[in-house]
Amino acid sequence: MHIDLKKEIKESGPGKAGLIILLLMIVMALLAPILAPYDPYQQSTASLLPPSWQHWLGMNHVGQDIWSQLVYGARTSLMVGFGVGIFSTLLGTIFGVSAALVGGIYEKVVMRIIDAFIVIPMVIIVILISAYIRPSIATLILLLSFLSWQGGARVMRAQTLSLKERANVAAARSFGANHFYIAWRHIIPDLGPILLVDFIHGVRRAIFMEAGLAFLGISDPTVISWGMMMRDALSFSYLNVWQWWLVPAGVALSLTIIGLTFISHAAEPVIEPRLRGVGIA
Amino acid sequence: MLEIKNLRVSYGHDVVLNGIDLKLKTGETVAIVGESGTGKTTLGLSIMRLVEGTVRGVIRFNGKDLLTLSDNEMQQIRWSQIAMAFQNANNVLNPVHTVLNQVMEPMIEHRLKSKEEARNRATELLGYFGFPRERFSNYPHQLSGGEQQRVLLAMALADDPELLILDEPLSSLDAAARGEVGNLLKEIDKHGAKLVATHDLDTASKLADRIAVLYGGKIIEAGPTQDVLSRPRHPYTRALIRAYPNMTTVKDLQGIKGRMTHSVSGCPFHPRCTQAIDTCQTKVPQLVWNQGRHIACHRGGIITLLSTRNLTKSFGSLKAVDSVNLYIEAGETLALVGQTGSGKTTLAKTIMGLHPPTEGTVYLEDARVDKRRKDFYKRVQMVFQNPGESLSHRLSVLEAVMEPLDIQGVGTKKERRKKAIQVVGEVELPQTKDFLNKYPHHLSGGEMQRVAIARALVLDPNLLIADEPTAFLDASLQAKILKLLLNLQEQRGLSMLYITHNIAAARKVSDRMAVMLNGKIIEEGSSNEIVATPKQAYTRDLLRAASTLHSTESSSIE
Repeated sequence: MHIDLKKEIKESGPGKAGLIILLLMIVMALLAPILAPYDPYQQSTASLLPPSWQHWLGMNHVGQDIWSQLVYGARTSLMVGFGVGIFSTLLGTIFGVSAALVGGIYEKVVMRIIDAFIVIPMVIIVILISAYIRPSIATLILLLSFLSWQGGARVMRAQTLSLKERANVAAARSFGANHFYIAWRHIIPDLGPILLVDFIHGVRRAIFMEAGLAFLGISDPTVISWGMMMRDALSFSYLNVWQWWLVPAGVALSLTIIGLTFISHAAEPVIEPRLRGVGIA
Repeated sequence: MLEIKNLRVSYGHDVVLNGIDLKLKTGETVAIVGESGTGKTTLGLSIMRLVEGTVRGVIRFNGKDLLTLSDNEMQQIRWSQIAMAFQNANNVLNPVHTVLNQVMEPMIEHRLKSKEEARNRATELLGYFGFPRERFSNYPHQLSGGEQQRVLLAMALADDPELLILDEPLSSLDAAARGEVGNLLKEIDKHGAKLVATHDLDTASKLADRIAVLYGGKIIEAGPTQDVLSRPRHPYTRALIRAYPNMTTVKDLQGIKGRMTHSVSGCPFHPRCTQAIDTCQTKVPQLVWNQGRHIACHRGGIITLLSTRNLTKSFGSLKAVDSVNLYIEAGETLALVGQTGSGKTTLAKTIMGLHPPTEGTVYLEDARVDKRRKDFYKRVQMVFQNPGESLSHRLSVLEAVMEPLDIQGVGTKKERRKKAIQVVGEVELPQTKDFLNKYPHHLSGGEMQRVAIARALVLDPNLLIADEPTAFLDASLQAKILKLLLNLQEQRGLSMLYITHNIAAARKVSDRMAVMLNGKIIEEGSSNEIVATPKQAYTRDLLRAASTLHSTESSSIE
């Protein structure tokens, strides 16, 4: 039984749209130095200018080019998103797969820890910690990863419990294979699609969290981010600058999250084939 | 009456007999059994002192050492006291004498009887062996092989010898004549002793009280005939019986791997043995008395490779395997027969350590197996029921067959590859690059099962547990896989635990059978006994329900 994630996503309309949006955002982040005409950190006396040919989206309150900020903001969002996606999926895989394979007390301990994490409201914890340590991008990635691997680990464990009953795993055991070999050669390859879906979930959650923290003003103030742009713009909402300051940042953030949601929705049947509508099996 | 001690015979550098010890009592018949070239005939000729080689040792006949007698003294004994019926009638019979003259000749030559008496005696003997009177004046070349044989026997008996040496006495006779002549030979000469040299186990079982199995110039097993034949304890004896077509055993014929070679160091049989260890290559085993039998084997005869003691596996309140005591000997196939759900697979998996046992223990060569380490899996391997599932869909044929070697960390990558390709060839799969790179879903069911078998064999295990290896195959593929398993057993000396619900297939491949019902072994014994005289009602049901081609009565298991 081969699960083709690529095919699954491509065959769904929203999936395709999500993929295109995400690719656009990635291109924007990668090509930021080319796409941005000005240094987004460079302040000037020309504050709160409306859009013009020189400044496509005008200037903010300290005279920074809003378009350049928007472009560089994509870098922050995606870096945090992918960083957390990778780390939380990694942690989730390590704990989920090992719990299922090793079993016994180890499994019980891991699962209770996961339960404990899940009942703690993550947003509040993140806000509290962030307010104290004002995390840089790197620490933010680690913090969010540490708080968000548990859901994935549960799914991974459940799937591993079923995969490890397969005859090919029994066969590998009968050649003397240890847990590590079985996980690496027989379980994880078959977890592939689920890992991807878990990863995308992680990315989406992290982008949202990062924007939220920046919006609340408790992230690193020296890093340009969409959340921070929205916060700054909001304090000038009595002027009509929100049209080219607040809205583009909000739209960029929403588009990215919608794109990711579309992709993960399209990939959902991979985990739960019953969600697949009437179609070719 | 006859006592042979440490007899050694060599032709030039070829040592043919290498330390034979044998005793023969009056009235007793001993069969010397072995393949062609093991030295059976040489032994007979040595006693007759007709051998053209260097003979050392002692052959004591009625107190006299034959080897120290002068030629003249020997002449007195030869034919009159010790006679031999040769195997190759054509070379022995004188082509210019008639049948009757041939038989009379020794009596006249030894001046034992007058011509008239000799004629009567010869007539009587030929008549005794059923030689037609009207052909007494025929010449040897006018006789059939069977008739020549009868003449030879009559000649050997002519002087009424005390010791009669019979070299393949029944081999040129057809089945019906064998029975008749066999009975005659048994009847005559109850006061003398007979030494029968034969490769034919039927002859041995018909004529002999005791049997001595000869291999590479040494006796490797000796004991009461029926005892040895029904329960051989030396690997060679068992192999001989397996190779011998007969109506008793039900397993398909199997050969013995390799060829017999002379001047092997250590145990002469070790290159072909199923259980050779290092000592076997260096030290010659002595023929020793061991539980009612003489056996020359460093390991005390066929060893028990794996056994279970009270092995129990429960799932909750269900006892899937219930106090199972089983043993598997080196080089044999034990078929575990029972209906679906009787606990066969659970038993196999518990032995393999894939399920922890609830109770009981597994012993590998008498060593208790608790925690299974890599070296356990080097010796015991399993072929799973459904090859489509047991082969990972992500591994190519080559990768799948290499996997056990990778896990065990055997040799370099290149060596592992070479070994894997070699074993792929052994299971009769193509060794082409194209095939080796195929994935399981490109393979047919039969090919997949062969790949699974190759994978299980790549570590050179001693025991292969085959769990319904043919359940997903049609009859012709099943036949091929079963043949393959038999061949592999022959080539590698594998022991097998063959798990099946099909008693018809089981009897073709197994030496012994164990019938399993509701987690218990209810009957166990040699396959022919189980098939011919089942003791349990359930076994009889299984046999009645087994496939047959004549459906005269409806059959089902109640």
